[in-house]
Amino acid sequence: MKGKDKTTEEKSLLFKPLDPILHSELRLAVMSILIGVEEADFVYLKGQTGATSGNLSVQLDKLSSAGYVEIEKSFRGKKPCTLCRMTEKGRNAFAQYVETLKQYIQK
Amino acid sequence: MENTEKKENISTEQSLKIIAETMERSRMTIAKNSGKPLILWGFLVAVTALVIHLLWTNTNNPAWNLLWFAMAAIGFAATFIISKNREHAPLNEMGRILGKIWMWFGIITTGFYLLIWIAYFIIKYCNYNTDSVIHVNLTLIIVIAMGLCGIISGVVMKMRSIVACCATATFLSALVALLMPGQVLVFVILGIVGLLVPGLILQKKARG
Repeated sequence: MKGKDKTTEEKSLLFKPLDPILHSELRLAVMSILIGVEEADFVYLKGQTGATSGNLSVQLDKLSSAGYVEIEKSFRGKKPCTLCRMTEKGRNAFAQYVETLKQYIQK
Repeated sequence: MENTEKKENISTEQSLKIIAETMERSRMTIAKNSGKPLILWGFLVAVTALVIHLLWTNTNNPAWNLLWFAMAAIGFAATFIISKNREHAPLNEMGRILGKIWMWFGIITTGFYLLIWIAYFIIKYCNYNTDSVIHVNLTLIIVIAMGLCGIISGVVMKMRSIVACCATATFLSALVALLMPGQVLVFVILGIVGLLVPGLILQKKARG
């Protein structure tokens, strides 16, 4: 595993660095879900990623601060509902991230 | 994913795995949600075809074909109930495409069926010259349209078993529609092989 990490580090010197906002397990999982849907609520994201509410909130805030995700707090009936959707900036960043990943894997 | 710091440093291989796994899970949630409606519609189509066949042959009255509309009403109501109870999932591109495909199948076949009735009344009550009337095999048209929608759905879901089921159902039922009078066997084949079996495959796959 360490060998693999070292290879990744070495590659990062040769290629464009991977976006640090996306290069995190939970944030990447959230973005992978949001890329394919119009919007997803907090409960669905929590269920799909298996993350705790606290951790997911923190990571969503980071994505939101980077402008990759829009968060809308509303109500579904009487229950509060947090809706997340990917922004155009987030979509471009995700596409760029995948492109860079491909370069890392191919070389 | 509880320890945030620990998970910040991931390898490129892990990143690809996360992306692929998450997208696959999302795809399977949609596939899982499609299973029950397919089973329901397959059952309804096969049973309705049998019921209409029995009533039509016993009473010699083709008006029993209007039961297809009753079947559609029951099907839509039951689909609505199923959708209320199913696992919550946001609509993704695949779900949207599948929804549109089957919505247009419903619109086109219902519209075509109504057109046939309109043509029938024009011919019957407006003294229309029947020399120019073209005879069409409505059953064959529905079979091909339904089969194509099923095949496209299987392709979109990337499930070869569903494509194979729908292709088999289309060819078999089209052959029956061309060779045999009546429609009971055609719709029983379509309902069971083209809808019910793919629905069961989806359910089995979703359960893992």
